[in-house]
Amino acid sequence: MSTPALGAANEAGQESILVINLRKFRRDRFAVVSAVTVVIFILMAVFAPLVTPHDPYDTDLLRRLQPPVWREGGEWSYPLGCDALGRDLLSRIIYGARISIFIGVAVVLLATVVGTLAGLAAGFLGGIVDAVISRIVDTLLGFPYLIFAIGLMGMMGPGLENIILALVYKEWTISCRVIRGETLAARELEYVEAARAVGASKAHIMTREILPNVLSPLIVVATTRMATIIILEASLSFLGLGVQPPLASWGSMVSDGRAFLLEAWWVSTFPGIAIFLLVVSINVASQGLRDAFDPRLR
Amino acid sequence: MRKTPWFLAVSAVLVFPLGATISAGSAEAAELRVGFTQDALTLDPANHRKRETETIIRNLYDGVMTQTADGRAVPELAESFRQIDSLTYEAKLRRNVKFHSGDPMTAADIKFTFDRLTKEKAMGGQTSPRQSLLGPLADVLVIDDYTVHFKLKAPWPVFPRMLPVQEVVSKKFVEKVGHDALATQVNGTGPFKLVEWRRGDSIIMERFADYYGGAAAIPPVGAAKADRVIFKIIPENASRVAALLAGEVDIINEVPIHTIGQIDRSGKAKVVKANGTRTFFIALNVTRPPLNDLRVRQAANHAIDKKTLIDKLLGGAATSVAGVLSPESFGYKPGLREYAFDPEKAKSLLAQAGHANGLDVVLDTEGAFKDQAEAIASMLTKVGIRTKVQVWEGAVLTPIWRGEKKERDMYLTSWGSSALDPTGIFVPTLRTKDRGNSSGYSNPNVDRLLDAAETELDVEKRAGMYHEAEKIVAEEAPWIFLWVPQDIYAVGSRLRGWEPGSDSRINLHRAYFAN
Amino acid sequence: MRLGFVVERLLQLVPVLLGVSLVVFLMITLTPGDPVEIMLGNERATPEQAESLRREMGLDLPPHERFVKFVRNALTGNFGRSFFHRRPVAEVIAERLPATMELTIVSMLIALALSIPLGVLAAVKRGSILDRIATVASLIGVSMPGFWLGIMLILLFAVHLGWMPVSGRVDFSHEVPRITGMILLDSLIQGRVDTFLDALHHIIMPAVTLGLAMAALLMRVTRASMIEVLQQDYILFAEAKGLGRARLLMRHALKNALIPTVTVAALETGYLLGGNTIVETVFGWPGLARVIVEGIFSRDYPLVQAGVLVIAVIYVSVNFLADVLYTLLNPRVKL
Repeated sequence: MSTPALGAANEAGQESILVINLRKFRRDRFAVVSAVTVVIFILMAVFAPLVTPHDPYDTDLLRRLQPPVWREGGEWSYPLGCDALGRDLLSRIIYGARISIFIGVAVVLLATVVGTLAGLAAGFLGGIVDAVISRIVDTLLGFPYLIFAIGLMGMMGPGLENIILALVYKEWTISCRVIRGETLAARELEYVEAARAVGASKAHIMTREILPNVLSPLIVVATTRMATIIILEASLSFLGLGVQPPLASWGSMVSDGRAFLLEAWWVSTFPGIAIFLLVVSINVASQGLRDAFDPRLR
Repeated sequence: MRKTPWFLAVSAVLVFPLGATISAGSAEAAELRVGFTQDALTLDPANHRKRETETIIRNLYDGVMTQTADGRAVPELAESFRQIDSLTYEAKLRRNVKFHSGDPMTAADIKFTFDRLTKEKAMGGQTSPRQSLLGPLADVLVIDDYTVHFKLKAPWPVFPRMLPVQEVVSKKFVEKVGHDALATQVNGTGPFKLVEWRRGDSIIMERFADYYGGAAAIPPVGAAKADRVIFKIIPENASRVAALLAGEVDIINEVPIHTIGQIDRSGKAKVVKANGTRTFFIALNVTRPPLNDLRVRQAANHAIDKKTLIDKLLGGAATSVAGVLSPESFGYKPGLREYAFDPEKAKSLLAQAGHANGLDVVLDTEGAFKDQAEAIASMLTKVGIRTKVQVWEGAVLTPIWRGEKKERDMYLTSWGSSALDPTGIFVPTLRTKDRGNSSGYSNPNVDRLLDAAETELDVEKRAGMYHEAEKIVAEEAPWIFLWVPQDIYAVGSRLRGWEPGSDSRINLHRAYFAN
Repeated sequence: MRLGFVVERLLQLVPVLLGVSLVVFLMITLTPGDPVEIMLGNERATPEQAESLRREMGLDLPPHERFVKFVRNALTGNFGRSFFHRRPVAEVIAERLPATMELTIVSMLIALALSIPLGVLAAVKRGSILDRIATVASLIGVSMPGFWLGIMLILLFAVHLGWMPVSGRVDFSHEVPRITGMILLDSLIQGRVDTFLDALHHIIMPAVTLGLAMAALLMRVTRASMIEVLQQDYILFAEAKGLGRARLLMRHALKNALIPTVTVAALETGYLLGGNTIVETVFGWPGLARVIVEGIFSRDYPLVQAGVLVIAVIYVSVNFLADVLYTLLNPRVKL
């Protein structure tokens, strides 16, 4: 049996499993609704300039803390009311979706790439490489996540790129551990042994034989982590270590509104609901994915 | 076993609502509670530089001098205080002052206190961070048990005004317990004794029965009226207001502006204000384009609608200033030329400066002033000074703007001096290369006037010099001149005998409840 | 052999803690900002005084010397003096740690108390309405940002309904002589029921805020492992033999199903410790996490360094214990 043939057969098998899994996913109505919600949020973020009723950065002190439409003093053109600078809350929330989703996707993507490479290297190469990577992972795991991120944000200062970096610095350890474990298991499998027996290079085995096999758990982990990352970003912004104004992140909007809690509850409440809705949708959808992809956990 | 806490939790939820509402309404008549933003860092009066810490400590310790609500320095532990010559001040001490331990206070304690503050490594190896607040104070001489002389190295007319922020400790006590112990143990001469300090949560004090009575100039004199005083630390704004409205506390500081109406309408408490000591301004970097051009700086001043900002953003609780000094400050005189809100004039000044198409700048500030910065930025942008706000952590921003090299454009910040004297605000922010001169402003005439005023003993002449300097600064506009916000407090409607002062103290010696 | 395993795991902690110290130190050294300027604020100060403060804080030393000094001193339990509290850091931490521990432990207990019964019920009645409700509830629980939940709880229960205290650990009418610093425990030891109940009343909102996401997570774990256990041969066998179902659940299934729950609970302690930064801020809880956050903003290097190290030590130790227990208890893990 030649190696390329083996790889191809393997890929074909993987694909069909993916299709089967997706079909299973589609039967979970709850998960599908959530997935659709997530997609709506994404569309909202992408087309924010087209769907927002107002410029989210346009301040008007005369509209300071204007209440939402159903309360006295509210009006239809500002349905969710205004913040302390008289900016339209709805428009800011829609723009806020951009920040949250962008940070969520960027962090998970970067962390997954780094973590996968490190995990593959540690699991497959073993020895000193494994020891070094594992010690780094252990050290980073010795920090509670939020405290680590707060420290890093203090070091790097606020800003979009810095938040992403601050979260990736620790986030990669999660996919790294998953991949390392799966790689260790896969290494012992027959087809990998076979590939090694016929003299395939290490790089080849890692990318062509092992990687496809660990993709399923990876997708499940990545989607779940996305939800966590969005909450973490919001928490950092809440503590004042988030994006730069006038950019509006949901977390910083909740934090800003905290000062007006008694007189203008809507400033904090609505962005909070937005975070909650997006995160719950991602969680339900990823639960659906997990159920479909990983029958052991059902 | 594992279930127990859960059941208890549920029963507590069911039982406590009743208990909570009952106790909330009827706080002990003689127990006075303050909802306060920050805990004391230490209780050692010589080992901090924080106003909130001072506010708490001032109820436990008294000073040689104190300050009235309208900002005059008057003798407190001293019976009289006078200047003998340009370098010497004499304090005659009261004879009936006792420390909480019962020991009498004498001149030796005064000398010990000030040696501890001014001498290197005098606090068990540490040097007091308050050292430089006493300026050129060289030594304290004990003349007799109840007379001391303060000896200065150079004339310093503001010296008496700096004494209210230094509190007297007991020599005998410190020598017994050690310097470090002062962080948590109190043996002061103040109206209240320390009962317990629950770190981060509250500081509990009780009346000191043998109190000598307090400053003679601020009646009524006598022991404190309240039996107990508690500073309860509530950092969250909304929580602090909620605690006041629920009757959990009787005074709160830093009332959020937009809750003023709600508090006043509640019928349970009212808002009281005191003129603050912090001048807010935007430092403009005069050392490089585009703000090295006077016309651009003046245009920026004309672009700001201060009235709207004060009314809407600050709830009207601020005084607009045309220069550096607050109207309460020594040396303040009306009649400075003020830049009126005039967008057209701003645009034409910009055009004259060659910026007809506008220009781009960055406005730096800290998170706490984000709102104000964004509102100001949008006003500047409207006349063509397109302004982007950048929010920083104070710890990072301060050194950047205090550094020698000025590389940024605008900085929304504030500077305050609790002594309300120009030496604490004008000199550091506008004298060439001084510590807080963020603009990089330098004018030899201003420097000369400030230096001369520093040692001028003739009060009128001194005030005139500051006014002269302020006129030059107003004309040259190294800042966008903004405002002096008021400190806003709220007090329960039964509380009497306390009014806020400009030094942000909350001295509760005379406070009591009406029935 | 088992002892060998424990010792080996214990030895692995050493490089981790060194690594943690190094990372914290690097972070702090690379962070811009000047504690001296912050401390002096904008009242009068002279350059000489700034210099002398800088020397006193040890900021005049080069970074590597500072790190060596920190590690050497830390090994003897000396963490230096806090720049702003101007006292030994160990003192400041000792004052604040119990409040954080108390909140963390109560949150964990709430999480366990909610998650285990719900998880077991959901597993036993798998597919029922109850199972679905529990699943939805747990999803809501993990999706609620803690800071927002805390704010909403304050708004509803403290401000509008007035049922709950706005902040603080215990009312001032209660004086609790300090034994452990954990008020709930101290008041129980001293037999002061009223103080205990009052402290409980104060801790409920912060603890629920902190523990809810954890409860949701643990419920899922319990449900999954319970389902797995229920399908094991020996359970099916016991059932076939006619053992009472309730007894079977309690005696056999639950015991085994709880192993993963407890393990995950221990592993996620870090989540609770990190979450403390938020909850202590929102509820004005006078704990260590809030002091660390304040220390970061004011550049109180010794305090941040030691505070983070203490939290890391707690976290790593709990993980270590969980790991050892798991290995010793679980017959399926071979040594």
